[in-house]
Amino acid sequence: MSNKDIHEDSFQYTDSDKVEKIFSQYPDKRSATLPLLHLAQTQGGYITSAIINTVAKLTEIHPAEVMDCVSFYTMFYSRQQGTYKLQVCQTLSCSLNGADDIVDHITQKYGTQPGETTSDGKFTLLKVECLGSCGTAPVIQINDDYHEGLSIKELDILLDSIP
Amino acid sequence: MSTFEPVLTSNITKENSHTLDFYQSIGGYSAIKKVLSMSPLEVIDVVKASNLRGRGGAGFPTGLKWSFVPKDSEKPIYLINNADESEPGTFKDRLLMNKAPHQMLEGMIIASYAIGCHTSFIYIRGEFYREYMLLEKVVAEAYENNLLGDNILGSDYSLDVVIHRGAGAYICGEETGLIESLEGKRGWPRIKPPFPAIEGYLQCPTVVNNVETLSCLPHIITRGADWFQSIGPEKGPGPRLFCVSGRVKNPGVFEEPMGIDLKDLIFEKAGGITNDNKLKAVFPGGSSSAILTAAEAIDVKMDFEELAKKKTMLGSAGVIVMDETVDMVHACLNIARFYAHESCGQCTPCREGTTWLVKMLTRMVKGRGTLKDINMLFEITDNIGGLIDFSKGSYGKTICPFGEAVAWPIRSFVEKFKDEFIKYLPQEKVAA
Amino acid sequence: MPLLKIDSLEIEVEKGTTVLQAAMVNGIEIPYYCYHPALEIVGSCRMCLVEVEGMPKLQVSCNTFVGEAPPERKIEGKYDMVVNTHNDLVIQERKNVLEFLLLNHPLDCPVCDQAGECYLQDYSFKFGNAHSRFDEDKRVRPNEYLGSQIVINHNRCILCSRCIRFTREISGTSELFVEARGNKSKIAALEDKPLDNLLAGNVADICPVGALLSTDYIHKNRIWNLKKQPSVCQDCSVGCNVDVFYQKDKILRLTPRENHDVNGYFMCDIGRYGFHRFEDLDRITTPMARSNGSFSAVSWDEAIRKTADKLGDEGAKIAGIVSPFHTNETNFMLGQIINGPTGTLPQMNDEEIIYQSGFRISNDRSPNRRGMSDVCPALLEDLVSEIDNQDVRMIYVLDDGIDREIDDVWKKILAKMDFVVVQTYAMTTLAQSANIILPGPAPYEREGTITNDGGRVQWLRPSLPMKGESRADWEILMMVMKALDKDAQDFTDIGQVMKDMGEKFPAYDGLSFFRLGPHGMSLNGRANG
Ligand SMILES: Cc1cc2nc3c(=O)[nH]c(=O)nc-3n(C[C@H](O)[C@H](O)[C@H](O)COP(=O)(O)O)c2cc1C
Ligand code: SF4
Ligand code: SF4
Ligand code: SF4
Ligand code: FES
Ligand code: FES
Repeated sequence: MSNKDIHEDSFQYTDSDKVEKIFSQYPDKRSATLPLLHLAQTQGGYITSAIINTVAKLTEIHPAEVMDCVSFYTMFYSRQQGTYKLQVCQTLSCSLNGADDIVDHITQKYGTQPGETTSDGKFTLLKVECLGSCGTAPVIQINDDYHEGLSIKELDILLDSIP
Repeated sequence: MSTFEPVLTSNITKENSHTLDFYQSIGGYSAIKKVLSMSPLEVIDVVKASNLRGRGGAGFPTGLKWSFVPKDSEKPIYLINNADESEPGTFKDRLLMNKAPHQMLEGMIIASYAIGCHTSFIYIRGEFYREYMLLEKVVAEAYENNLLGDNILGSDYSLDVVIHRGAGAYICGEETGLIESLEGKRGWPRIKPPFPAIEGYLQCPTVVNNVETLSCLPHIITRGADWFQSIGPEKGPGPRLFCVSGRVKNPGVFEEPMGIDLKDLIFEKAGGITNDNKLKAVFPGGSSSAILTAAEAIDVKMDFEELAKKKTMLGSAGVIVMDETVDMVHACLNIARFYAHESCGQCTPCREGTTWLVKMLTRMVKGRGTLKDINMLFEITDNIGGLIDFSKGSYGKTICPFGEAVAWPIRSFVEKFKDEFIKYLPQEKVAA
Repeated sequence: MPLLKIDSLEIEVEKGTTVLQAAMVNGIEIPYYCYHPALEIVGSCRMCLVEVEGMPKLQVSCNTFVGEAPPERKIEGKYDMVVNTHNDLVIQERKNVLEFLLLNHPLDCPVCDQAGECYLQDYSFKFGNAHSRFDEDKRVRPNEYLGSQIVINHNRCILCSRCIRFTREISGTSELFVEARGNKSKIAALEDKPLDNLLAGNVADICPVGALLSTDYIHKNRIWNLKKQPSVCQDCSVGCNVDVFYQKDKILRLTPRENHDVNGYFMCDIGRYGFHRFEDLDRITTPMARSNGSFSAVSWDEAIRKTADKLGDEGAKIAGIVSPFHTNETNFMLGQIINGPTGTLPQMNDEEIIYQSGFRISNDRSPNRRGMSDVCPALLEDLVSEIDNQDVRMIYVLDDGIDREIDDVWKKILAKMDFVVVQTYAMTTLAQSANIILPGPAPYEREGTITNDGGRVQWLRPSLPMKGESRADWEILMMVMKALDKDAQDFTDIGQVMKDMGEKFPAYDGLSFFRLGPHGMSLNGRANG
């Protein structure tokens, strides 16, 4: 078995204290599913079948039930994403304030359609729905951080400053 | 009305307004001291008397909701703070969490005490990662100071607060979808009955309240029900965070008394329309409310009853402003696409109808619509969540109110801006 | 009890009954998809909407419970609830839901296996619009395997979630899930954990449309070409009630038949697909006699005469081997003939499986051990010693029909015998040791009663004709009996055998097919003499 296989077939949380803490917070095991998935994705970048199996074992449910949950939510990815996820809000308030131009601009700048990752694996462009910050439209979330009210020019400066 | 002093947001511009020190320096956490000397029933009575109605969207009377929780429950009782904030046009809870998190936490303690809850959750939308990190600190601070945990402030009341992150699903803002999600499942809303107050999280009695609703509680306790009741209209009083976004010069969250003129919100608080353009239409209460035309918007008050008379709703008080530059067919498609993307997919009308709307509107935008399509837009929306009689509520065609949340706005676009839809039809078809 | 009015019908119902249940029991049709009596209520298909007076919205009847209204809230002073299932509003609403359900449906009923028993087809005919108003492209997805025996046609699926709930609530195996959400939702199983449990076949039965298909049956025939015979599964001692679908001399499929005292709504795949093992079996269809080590076909007359000649020897002891695979009547008849020790072949134990819902597959994979012991009470554990003790030289065997190794004990017994009669339908190892073979029917050709391990006597009805010259087992035994004793009772049909059996074994007294009906009769509380 090559190293790669080991990586894909098995998954182990590096922070087992965190796992324990998560379980201590809920009255039942299954409620820990979402936090366990978040934690795993932070560690592994996306949700592999190894993660599904590990979470299923820990929460004592069938892997298909974990998958039922995972596939419902937009924040869990089933494929490797770019190092930086450029998540552009496309809902009304943002759309009325230039969100479409932002998507077009990023598409041109990096040659990626929404959903695609640049060939160097650095950026993934994603269209997302209302991020709950409509007052500062247009909103783009890069990984965990919101960037609000940016003009195209400001966006360029921001993107170009990413190492 | 000019005498109104902000209540929930009075200190948000101050530095470190999110810290415990700051909150205590302005008298924070005095309400729980008072509450801990009252009986839970007395607390519920005060909140009932204040006439506080939920700020999450449905506007249900908070005290009444609490009173549905069985008094002699042998099962644990849960309070869930709904911080999922994902209704388009709504961004007030994020502000409260960032700038006044202890106020919200104090509200949670009060509500938990009133309903007999000892484990309470904050369900925060997954995208709000920074807010989540901040809340972790805030909650830790509260534990360190005996404001949470065992025997709060030396009383015999104990409460744990757990922060739970969502993972990207608008429907998890709906209370039963939220509960399913908290249980580690997909956010499929549950059929009612049973209602959450009887069988909610893990089949135990559960109350779901919005961040803003909870944030009102410390003030109601401290200043009294009468004070709260005296702000704004009698049937739905209190301060309210209005979010104004879209085509306005100065978008933002504005705390005003319930019942403020929509006109004032748009033209005074939010600085008027971008480029001084002409107002065209407004969502008064988030994208799930029916839109108002400029003429309707100009003389309506932002309260539950007034808006219901105009066949729309206050909802989450998310005001989205559209000006003359906005193409109403595109805007309608934008909203339809949002709902199709967010439908949980359980109920036939919602799952199939939302996508049908998107397909049809997309075709129309491409210039391939027909007059029949316009009629069909009415029929489809009615079949997803249409009305028999507005005063009686909806047809109840779906498990959760999402069906109506799609139907109302889409229908209102077509109804009120039909000419714009007709303009998209190929000319020969219009003539025919 | 609450008084309910549905349309013009007044009915008293148990508190907590749903409107849908009350309507069904009383013959009022409310269409539904997601509701299934064995599964949790989800109320998602929205097909069963009705109008309930006093409620502002239409209500899903599957989740509307009838309760006692306080006196001041009674409608027209007496009703606890008044429901309309047929007014314009409701009729229109059903049309609307059906229209949504059919948007992406391929409307391929002419090639669909479910056609003829499809709720989508039925309801669109009864309640739907005549033509589609959907001018957009349909969502098209290829078929997929969910497990080795189950295929899903996604284009037909209406996402009622019955199949998913089945795997979570009944089998407890949870292999199925919904992938994605909204209109992208689809039923799926993980590639490395397919739907392969022994209850899997049931999902094809509970799917209300033709979306889940058993590969065993796909496109084999149209349902309306088949005949249906209610019967009982013979693959374990539970005795699930089944419907056997057949055409001429071929079974095409088995489906579970509802019986709350036995199997509920379901059956297992061992029983469901079990009929195949008789299809290519090397059947014996004529009486045979062995001479010089090889068998040759003989007439019934000759076979019976040869048998009686031997068995009728003055003072001869005959041992009998009864079988838990045979009916009560057959075992009873053999019991009447033999005068020596009685035994049975050793039980072959298999794994017992009990599912989350309580559904059980018995470790005893024979259908009638209980009945066999009831009507042959003197079964010996240690047959060998008795055979030695009594110096028995002849044996009459009701063969299980299952080909198995003959162990040393049995080899020893057979070696002692001068004469061996085997009544069977297949050339098993045991049959090969016979002097005379008398051909009877195979399981789906048999008629009679069997008693399951819970003490319920059930009516085994044949769906296939008997092969060749074979005759009913009781009839063969009667011929032998008559040949041995001219004065023996002359049964003209199996009903008379049952009557006689009832006289000798009071627990079975008064038994008749009529009395058993489709759901059988419990022996509990009946003393066996
Ligand atoms: C589709 C849908 C989305 C909702 N989203 C939210 C939300 O993001 N935040 C919220 O507080 N309430 C939301 N609600 C309302 C909740 O179901 C619930 O009524 C509310 O949280 C109760 O709190 P309140 O009584 O304090 O308003 C939503 C309702 C629906 C039908
Ligand atoms: S109305 Fe839509 S979102 Fe709500 S439960 Fe039904 S399908 Fe899901
Ligand atoms: S496959 Fe059949 S049972 Fe399963 S959800 Fe689809 S229609 Fe329902
Ligand atoms: S459980 Fe037994 S009786 Fe029932 S179907 Fe399976 S094998 Fe046949
Ligand atoms: S519309 Fe973009 S954040 Fe709300
Ligand atoms: S049967 Fe009632 S909603 Fe599906």
